[in-house]
Amino acid sequence: MTDSASVVDVGRPAVRRGTLSRSLRGGLKGGEYTWAVAFVVPYVAVFAAFVAYPVVYGLWMGSEASLYRELFADPIYQSTVVNTILYLALGVNVKMFLALLLSGFFMRPGWWMKALLLIFVLPWAVPQISTFISIHWMLNGEWGFLNNVLYALFHTEGPSWLNDRWTALGAVIVSHIWKWTPFWTLILLAGRMAIPVEIRDSARVDGATGVRGFVHITFPLLANLYLICTLLSTIFLLGDFNAVTFVSGGGPANSTHVLATLGIRDAFEIANPRLGVAAVMSALPMVIPLVIILMRKLRTAEVQL
Amino acid sequence: MARLTRRSVLRGSLALGATSLLPLPRIARAAATTATVWFAQGFVQDEDVALRKAVTDYEKASGNKIELSIIPFAPERQKIISAITSGVVPDVMDSNPNEILQIYAWQDRWVDVSDVVETQKAQFSDTALQSAQAYNSVTKKRGVYGVPLRAAVVPCHIWRPLVEKAGFKIEDIPKTWDAYFDFFKKVQDNLRKQGERKVYGLGFQVTANGVDPYNLFTAFLIAHGGQDVVTRDGKLHLDDPKVKQAAIKATAYLGGAYRDGYVPPSAINWNDADDNNAFHAKLMVMDVDGTLSTEVAVKEKHPEWYFKDMVTHGIGYPTDNAGKPVPSVVGVTQGLIPKGAKNVTVAKEFLKYFIQPKVVGEFVELGLGRWLPVMPSLAKSPFWQDPKDPHLRGYIQQGLLGPTVPDYYVFNLAMAEVRSQHVWSLAMIDVAKDGVKPEAAVEKAFKRIEEIFAKYKVA
Repeated sequence: MTDSASVVDVGRPAVRRGTLSRSLRGGLKGGEYTWAVAFVVPYVAVFAAFVAYPVVYGLWMGSEASLYRELFADPIYQSTVVNTILYLALGVNVKMFLALLLSGFFMRPGWWMKALLLIFVLPWAVPQISTFISIHWMLNGEWGFLNNVLYALFHTEGPSWLNDRWTALGAVIVSHIWKWTPFWTLILLAGRMAIPVEIRDSARVDGATGVRGFVHITFPLLANLYLICTLLSTIFLLGDFNAVTFVSGGGPANSTHVLATLGIRDAFEIANPRLGVAAVMSALPMVIPLVIILMRKLRTAEVQL
Repeated sequence: MARLTRRSVLRGSLALGATSLLPLPRIARAAATTATVWFAQGFVQDEDVALRKAVTDYEKASGNKIELSIIPFAPERQKIISAITSGVVPDVMDSNPNEILQIYAWQDRWVDVSDVVETQKAQFSDTALQSAQAYNSVTKKRGVYGVPLRAAVVPCHIWRPLVEKAGFKIEDIPKTWDAYFDFFKKVQDNLRKQGERKVYGLGFQVTANGVDPYNLFTAFLIAHGGQDVVTRDGKLHLDDPKVKQAAIKATAYLGGAYRDGYVPPSAINWNDADDNNAFHAKLMVMDVDGTLSTEVAVKEKHPEWYFKDMVTHGIGYPTDNAGKPVPSVVGVTQGLIPKGAKNVTVAKEFLKYFIQPKVVGEFVELGLGRWLPVMPSLAKSPFWQDPKDPHLRGYIQQGLLGPTVPDYYVFNLAMAEVRSQHVWSLAMIDVAKDGVKPEAAVEKAFKRIEEIFAKYKVA
C-alpha cells in the first residue's frame, strides 16, 4: 500500500467500504459475481462497439467550429433547414391526424373492414425505395402517369411536378404520408382496441356518443400514446433519407434537400464526411428536446394507454 | 462426466482462442502475394468482363492473387470516401469520381506512383500525364498519384430519323458552335408542326445532379473562349473579361434553351443516366453526354439503332463560332494506391502490368469502346479504325487524337468542389427557370466560386 493510499484510507470506516463493495456486487458472492461479470461483458462490449463508439465518433467528427461556419456559409443550408421544418411539421402532424381518424374508422365491425385494412396497409408493407422511385416516375412532366392521365381525360398538359420547389417538396411530404400513415394507424388502432369496452359502454349510457365520446373518452385515453407516436415519428422523420432522395432527388437545383440528405451530399458528393456529420448534427437542437420529452412521457405514472 | 467449473470454462476459452491463431501464418503468407482491387461497375456487362479478363491474365502471369470487387458507380464513390476516412483501404482503386485523386492528394492520402507511370511514360498522351498529377498540401508540391487507365470525353449524340423526319439531313447540320445547336431548335419546331407533342431539340442537362451538367457547361465555356478560367498554375481568372463573357454566353445559351422550351422540362431534375434513358425514348433529338454509353448500351439489343439511326458527332464535333477547333475536356480514370494499403508492392506490379499497351488496349476494346485509351498509339488499332463502326473513329478523334485538355480540377482542387456544389448548374437554372439575367446569374456564381477557391490555397 502506498503512503497516499494509506492517507486516503484514514478515517474511512471499514464497514462503509464493505457496504460499498457489496452494493457494487449486487449482493453476489465469489464465483456468482465472476459469472455475472462474464455474462455482462459481451453485452457491454457490443454496446460499446456498436452504440457508444459510433455516437462518440460522430460527435468527434462534427466537433470543429469551422465545420459549422462552412455549413452555414453554404447557400442551400437555410432553405434546407426550412424544408426540414416543413417536412417535420406537415409530414408528422398530417400523417398522425389522419392515422387517428382512420384508426377510428377501422374500429368498425365487419369482415369487409378487415379486408379493407389489409389493402390499406399495403403501401407500408411494400419496399419503400421502389415505391418512391415509382412516384418519381409517375410525376415526370413529359411521360409520367399522372400527366398522361390528365391529358387523356381533360386534354390538358399537367405541370412538371418535380420542377418547382414547392410542388416537389409537397410530393415528398405526400409520399411520406402515404407510405407511413398505415403503420401509425395500426398502432393507434391497437391503442383504441385496448380501451376497455366497459368504459365505452358507460360513456354511451351517459350520452357520450359520436364526437362527444371521442373528445371526452377516446382521445383523453389515447393522448399519451398519440404524443409518444408523434415524438417517435418526428425523430424517425428527421433521419429520413429515402423519400427526398428518391422522389425529388433534392432538386430542382438543390431546393428540396432536408438535413439528412444534405449530410449525405456533403459527405459523399463534396467528399467531406466531417461536413456531412456537421449537417446532421445541426439538427441536434431539435432532436434533444424531443428525446427528453419522450423519455419523460415514457416515465409517466398515470394510468393511460 | 466432467463438472463444469469457472476455471474449466476459462481454460477451454483460452484453448479455443489459441487454436484460432493457428491459421494466421497462412493468412500472412497469402497476404504477401494478394492485393485487393476496387473498380466501378461498367455501364454494359462487357466492361466488367474485360476487367475480369485483365485481372485473370495478371494472376496467371504473376502468380499473385487479386481480390477484385466490382462495385456500382455511386456506391463505390461512397465506399472509397468511407474507406479513406476510416483508414481501412484496399490496395488499388479506380478514381471514382475522377477528382477523388485531387481531393485526397491534397490531404496526402495517396502513395506516389511516379515509378509506375514512368514505365509507360512515352506512351501516354500529354493530357493523361497531366491528369495523373495533383497538388499535395502537406508536402506543398505537385506529385504523380494516379496511373492513367482510360478516358472519356463528351460527344454529341443525334437521332438521324428525327432529323430526317423534320425535313433535314445530317449533312445539313452546321459546323460552328451556336449554329450547330440552333439547328436542333429548328428540327424541334418542324417536328412540332407535324404534331409531335413530346419531342425536344436539345438534351441539355440543366440539372444540379451528377457530373453531366458541369461537363456540358465546361464545353460551352471553352467554346465561347473561357478556356483560361483556371490556368495550369492553378490560378483562377474570373477577372478576365474573356472568361466572364464566355460564362455569360454559356449560361445564356444553356439556360435560354430550357426557358424557351427546347429542352425537356424534366431535364432540370435529371440524374446520371436519365438523359441516356430520355434519349433512348426519343424524347429529344440530340444529347450532349459523356462517353459512348448511349450507343453501347443498345448495340446488342438494337443493332439498327447503333449502326444506322444514332449519329455520334466526334469527328463532326462543332468548332467555335470563329471556326477554330474546340478542345475537348478529358476525364481520365486513374488507378490509385491509398496510403495504408497492405500490399503496395503487388498493387504497383498489378498497375504496371495493367498499363502495358497491349493489356490496357484490350481492356478498353473488350468494353465495346465506351471508354477511350490514354495512349495515342492504341488509336491505330483495327478496332478503333473499323470503317463499319459509325461511332468509334469519331470518338477517338475527339478524345485522343484531336485537341484535348485536362479538367480544371487537375490544376486546382477547388474546381472539384465547384463541380460537386453545382455552381454552374445553379446559374443555368437561375436563367432557365427563374428568369434571372445571365449577367446576374454569372455574377452570383463567380462570387461562390471565389469563396470556394479561398479555401484551397496553392503554394
